[in-house]
Amino acid sequence: MKDSLTATVALIRDTFREALARKIFWGLFGLSTVMILFFLFLLRIDLMEGGVAFVSAFGRFNGTRDVDKLVRGVYGGIAAFLYTWGMFLAVFASAGLIPSVLEPGRIELLLSKPVSRTHILLGRYVGNVLVVSCNIIYLVLGVWIILGIKTGIWSPLFLVSIATTIFAFAVLLSVVILIGVLFESAALATMVASALMVMSIILAQTSFMLRLLSSEWSRQIWRTLYYSLPKIYDLGSMTLNAIQSRSFDGFMPIWTSALFAAVVLGCSLMIFARRDF
Amino acid sequence: MASDYAIETSDLAKVYRSRWKRREVRAVDGISLNVARGSTFGLLGPNGAGKTTFVKMLLSAVHPTRGNALIFGRNAREPEARRPIGYLPENHRFPTYFTGTGMLDFYAALSGMESRERRKRIPEMLELVGLEQWGSVRIGKYSKGMLQRLGLAQALIHSPSMLILDEPTDGVDPVGRMQIREVLTRCEEKGVTIFINSHLLAEVELFCREVAILDKGKVALSGKMQDLTSGKGYRLTVGETPEALMEALRAKATSVASRNGFVDFQFATRQLANEAVDLLRAQRCEIESLAPTTSTLEEVFVRTVAK
Repeated sequence: MKDSLTATVALIRDTFREALARKIFWGLFGLSTVMILFFLFLLRIDLMEGGVAFVSAFGRFNGTRDVDKLVRGVYGGIAAFLYTWGMFLAVFASAGLIPSVLEPGRIELLLSKPVSRTHILLGRYVGNVLVVSCNIIYLVLGVWIILGIKTGIWSPLFLVSIATTIFAFAVLLSVVILIGVLFESAALATMVASALMVMSIILAQTSFMLRLLSSEWSRQIWRTLYYSLPKIYDLGSMTLNAIQSRSFDGFMPIWTSALFAAVVLGCSLMIFARRDF
Repeated sequence: MASDYAIETSDLAKVYRSRWKRREVRAVDGISLNVARGSTFGLLGPNGAGKTTFVKMLLSAVHPTRGNALIFGRNAREPEARRPIGYLPENHRFPTYFTGTGMLDFYAALSGMESRERRKRIPEMLELVGLEQWGSVRIGKYSKGMLQRLGLAQALIHSPSMLILDEPTDGVDPVGRMQIREVLTRCEEKGVTIFINSHLLAEVELFCREVAILDKGKVALSGKMQDLTSGKGYRLTVGETPEALMEALRAKATSVASRNGFVDFQFATRQLANEAVDLLRAQRCEIESLAPTTSTLEEVFVRTVAK
């Protein structure tokens, strides 16, 4: 058990070390800083006071209730933006970290150690999630502090986007791992993960599309795709609704996406365990 | 679970099948091999003989098509079976973002060594392979020979009971090679089993006590080095010899060669050599020298593979 923990920590540390050496960690950190500085700039142009003035001019200003509503709207918009931004960046940045481990001359030595293949792949997966988590926490927390200082309203619900962004990234990373294990291609992994993100926007329009589709079998295909693929868009919507204190339709996007990730990760582990190197 | 053998394989085979063309390549074709604990074993063979595939099956990097492999009595597929192994792969690609110390720390941790133990062992290992000044330097700056020595330190850091070395002296200069040999000799003295896969026959001949030659995925020859290379005949060197006597000697010899006014006759057995001596002395011919000869490993290798 102790040996296993030592090996896990070593694998996670190695992922961090590689992310640092490949400038992935600092790249993400730098871009997050740019984003935080951008919000700092917005603070200088008095976005909130302008917004309050706008509400007052075009309607009856209702004191703190309207400001609160406005702030929640701004918070939600920013969270949705950060969710999308963080997701794309994270997928692009981490796609190469799996194929690099499988390079000939490197993988043989890893496999010669008393560590199971499942352990090696999961160690890498967790390491990747942690690298991205550090940056997402930094980004969201940074923006939250700036908005809090500016508006005086500290919405803890904004921090929900940390959890949802990391979760959505973990789901997409399982796909990156599967493509990495199958084809050892970072570019292909990025393409597939990005395609899933875009598809999730289209598939999320289920109720509308089901009305448009004429045949039952095409509606069935649509439903199957919607329920089996990760719901990156829906997770973003859930985040937005949570921040704006609006109700949302259950936790289905979370558990179906988690199930998808578990199945894909399971397949990756199975393929990795059977491969010859 | 305790076994007298460090490695036991029975009918170990690996067949690579092309999915679409229905072609198959038998990389390893039913190898049964036992390597005793504490022995120094050399695995030889021409390119494509199946040596690396065989080694990879021992480490479970390649899954056998049939047969099985045991490491110190444990199934090679179990991760625990690899705990007593120190491995240095051929054409290794250590991540260049590591420093020498960082690299040793990472692989030692994967071998289950605790942090305190690692901190103690790393400087010792770097000193052992003559890289004590290079521990904090990124390995991207290392020469091939230095990487090879660092790789050896990596294989040794957790005090393994068996070393599996794939071309350990590849790219290493003669001094470095000698250092590596010294390190391996010390390991041998401590009872560590050493399994070397190498193209350098002279290196293997110098170091290994046992050897197996693979050819086309099968064991073509195996045995103790001494047995394989010794007792192969006698060389008789003579000066001026009458033509008739030369003919008589030629008839008994397996080979004849002339050099600097002398003639070397090679005889397969002691009896034939003695008969030749009798013939020469009967005609009062001078004998320059008579010595037993051994085959070099290279001769044995070429004979085996050329069959």
